[in-house]
Amino acid sequence: MQEAMERHGYIAEPEIATAVFLAKEMKKPLLVEGDAGVGKTEIAKVLARLLGTELIRLQCYEGLDVATALYEWDYPRQMLRLRMAGDSPDPSKIEDVIFSREYLLERPLLKAITRASGPPVLLIDEIDRADDGFEAFLLEILSDFQVTIPELGTIRAEHVPHVLLTSNRSREIGDALRRRCLYLYIEHPTFEKEVRIIRSRVPGAGDRLAAQIARFVESLRERRLAKSPGVAETIDWSQALVRLHQDELDPEIVSETLGCVLKDHNDLRELKGEEIATLVEAAAR
Amino acid sequence: MTVGGLAAHLASFAGALRARGVRVVLSDETDALSALTLVDLADREEVRRALAVALKIRRRDRSVFDELFDQYFSASAREAAIAEAARTRSVPHAAVPRRIGAPGWRNVEGETARELPLGDTPAYSPNALLRRKSFEECTDADLAPMERLLIRLAEKLATRPSRRLVPARGRGVMDPRRSFRSALATDGEFLRLARRSRAIEEPRLVALCDTSGSMDAHTRFLLAFLLALKRAARRTEIFVFNTSLTRLTSWLAPGKVVRSLERVSASVPDWSGGTRIGECLETFVENHLDATIDAKTVVLIVSDGLDRGDTEPLVRAMRAIRSRARRVVWLNPLLSDPRYEPIARGMAAALPFVDRLLPAHNLETLERLLPWLAA
Repeated sequence: MQEAMERHGYIAEPEIATAVFLAKEMKKPLLVEGDAGVGKTEIAKVLARLLGTELIRLQCYEGLDVATALYEWDYPRQMLRLRMAGDSPDPSKIEDVIFSREYLLERPLLKAITRASGPPVLLIDEIDRADDGFEAFLLEILSDFQVTIPELGTIRAEHVPHVLLTSNRSREIGDALRRRCLYLYIEHPTFEKEVRIIRSRVPGAGDRLAAQIARFVESLRERRLAKSPGVAETIDWSQALVRLHQDELDPEIVSETLGCVLKDHNDLRELKGEEIATLVEAAAR
Repeated sequence: MTVGGLAAHLASFAGALRARGVRVVLSDETDALSALTLVDLADREEVRRALAVALKIRRRDRSVFDELFDQYFSASAREAAIAEAARTRSVPHAAVPRRIGAPGWRNVEGETARELPLGDTPAYSPNALLRRKSFEECTDADLAPMERLLIRLAEKLATRPSRRLVPARGRGVMDPRRSFRSALATDGEFLRLARRSRAIEEPRLVALCDTSGSMDAHTRFLLAFLLALKRAARRTEIFVFNTSLTRLTSWLAPGKVVRSLERVSASVPDWSGGTRIGECLETFVENHLDATIDAKTVVLIVSDGLDRGDTEPLVRAMRAIRSRARRVVWLNPLLSDPRYEPIARGMAAALPFVDRLLPAHNLETLERLLPWLAA
């Protein structure tokens, strides 16, 4: 699994590979937690590529409801159909027609369940942002993989999708949902892993630059920052430095481009010129 | 190893985890067992990883997990433990947590706190005197009526509309789904439009209450107030701190406030001791911030700000809390003294991160606090 993920551009620690493998084999959802930018969402994308299947994504937000997550009727079309029927002698027949699958708009969850050609990867992103109520609803779907639509009856999953849930821990995920899933916590990558990630994602970055960037970012994470930089920031920054034709870090360039890595006003202000110089020097060693 | 032996060993491992306070339930164990059938059992690290995933070990429990894993799954311990598990089929018992000596409630009249019936007394006319009486002068006899007032007060807590839409009458946006359903009954004519509007949401509160010696006269009533708040807004989290931080939420069963208070004072180490506000708030930031505070949460800090410690950690913690919470309200009983100025070192350091500094020495002042807690 680890090698397979690596072939598809994801440098996975054994922890991650084991978790993904178990989730796939045990047909259980995998709940992935970790700081922003450690590559939670990326796992789903890689898994979809690796299995050669479709990635269906549901982005959670406050106020997300069933109509946007599961299904909605196509009202304008239903209405047109009704008007066209005019004074039909048999109203119940019309009802059958307009409440059929043809008039059903499938939202991500239903789409994942009804996909005919093999199981898709279903990514439920940032579940912590949705309301508790939605979490409870999800619990039902994830345990039975079936949906009951009052007008249509129960729809069962053709294939049980591979489900990944991610959370930034902006609130605690309910215990019941956690129990339904397998659980993985992703830490910030180690130095070696980060170098490999930079090398694989930013081909223009040489060994020296990649190592210096990784060490610099690592030392940033050791400080108490409001927003610790994630891998996504490291990659952005590496790309920026390559674009500026740098083959090593120097204090001036670093302070000009630090906005790629530190995205908090206080953090940026606290890291003054001299400190940058010391950090750069330490990273160059 | 046979599957049966493995299962027994796993059960005793799970029991040991539970004994150390890691939440592991039966369904986790069955998950773990089926995970183990999928991995290479000879590879110890692989087994460790698989168990961590299948038992849903959270980050904060990881060190306990690793420690116990080493005990239970080292080559020699494994065989021994299996033999042991096979013989007794029992799970190691949790060590009974030692009670740390806690002083009882400060009691003005020298009698032990009585259990006071709450009953379903109907409307209680607020007693103006009681409302103005300072907590410092209150005795146990005042606690019962005080408690009822507190509960009524907490129930007044205003609520805020959520972004979620729920069916509503006569206001809000049109709900096509329900409208359509009802139109069917009238042959497709929309005689009545169904509507949806924003749901009313409970406020989210996180209260951090100082229980050190200098706060002693007020703690009891302030905690009673927090408990009352917890009844009105179920998602209230309560922490107390003095020299260390304790999460109270799990201790608080619904029911009588007095009994909860007794249980709490008996279980919190160093009750009425000194304070280290900064360190305690930092512990809070490290362990609980992510899970308890979001953009909807109002943080309520109850303390006199008298701190002997270094202010640096306090500033760091307050910044972290401020950046995440919706509002930070600081209740300071000392504010009742008109001559008081917030110059105590801790208070002065925290002030820039506080949205509202309010007094809290009697019921009347707590009443004035409510609008600031409304979500």
